[in-house]
Amino acid sequence: MGFWEPLFFWLFAFGALITSCAVIVMRNPLYCALTLIADFFCFAALYVLLSAHFLAVVQILVYGGAIMVLFLFIIMLLNMRRVRPASRFQVHYAIATIAGIMMFLFAAWAILSAVDMEEVAEERERVAEQIEEVEQEEEEVALRTASAIPGPEAPVDAPVLYADVNELAVEQAYAQTLRAWRDGHATPSDHKYPDFDPDRTYELPPSLQPDPEQAHVVPGREGLYGTFKPVSIMLVNRFVIPFELTAVLLLASIVGAMILAKRRVA
Amino acid sequence: MAWVSTLISYWEPTLAHYLLLSAAVFSIGLIGVMVRRNALIVFMSIELMLNSVNLSFISFARYRFEMDGHVFAFFIMAVAAAEAAVALAIVIHVFRHKRGVNVDEMQELKY
Repeated sequence: MGFWEPLFFWLFAFGALITSCAVIVMRNPLYCALTLIADFFCFAALYVLLSAHFLAVVQILVYGGAIMVLFLFIIMLLNMRRVRPASRFQVHYAIATIAGIMMFLFAAWAILSAVDMEEVAEERERVAEQIEEVEQEEEEVALRTASAIPGPEAPVDAPVLYADVNELAVEQAYAQTLRAWRDGHATPSDHKYPDFDPDRTYELPPSLQPDPEQAHVVPGREGLYGTFKPVSIMLVNRFVIPFELTAVLLLASIVGAMILAKRRVA
Repeated sequence: MAWVSTLISYWEPTLAHYLLLSAAVFSIGLIGVMVRRNALIVFMSIELMLNSVNLSFISFARYRFEMDGHVFAFFIMAVAAAEAAVALAIVIHVFRHKRGVNVDEMQELKY
């Protein structure tokens, strides 16, 4: 796992917490919006740490760009400074804060009661050994590359218990799924939608077909997890109806926003 | 030296770390929704809560080695964009009638 990735996790996690607190504490709505932008950037960094690269970019473009520009525009349009009430401490502040903290404690209890940190440590050692084995096999494969013998399938013996397995293992597991789809052993909807026509094999689009010239590349190095291609493939295959409905939703929200915000014609 | 490995196992982020962060940000957004009177800041807190849900979706997706969570987070972002557009239009509308955006004063369904 290394030293830098946890360091960046803690950096951006505390950044997200501090900026979230600042959003609800600041008096001036303009400062709230600006700290919220910083918060969205922290979240985008966390998405990158979770190898969700596409969503990190979408987070910055949609949240940090579009939505926050809308917020800033409205704040400046309404000129809130003179309507800001002098808010003092009140009982319901304390009650709401206590309720929120209780909510967090309940969630934390539910999460931590499912996790045994000693088990995590054991699992981490096991995964580290496995990664070492994989790297040794990769070295052997690299030695055999000249004779173009395909390398052994990298063992992905389910290091799935915790999220901290490294990038290599994630990509290997994802590449195994893709290989299963390509070879027809499984379809993307297996075990998910039993009524989905299980006989239909899934064909990868030509852009994802393995390149014969790249056949010597060690399997599992495709690096597709979290990128644009798999998300878009899912959006136009299994999730095509929600995707189209999103278009209808956006159209409806555009029309609704126009009707609500326009001045009434006398 | 057992405590060193325990400390390291807390230092390196796992699924639990991401979920705890998500729960914390969600709670902060909940407190913001309950405490603040300015309607715009209430909407900002709702955006915070949506973001924390996105974070837990994506960490579960990474944990399961699947990408369905990414698609769900993508849809949540689209819905949040639509919601922000309509909500801010409503805020403008209310501001014209009330000359203010205090949520305590929004008690009627008229207008």
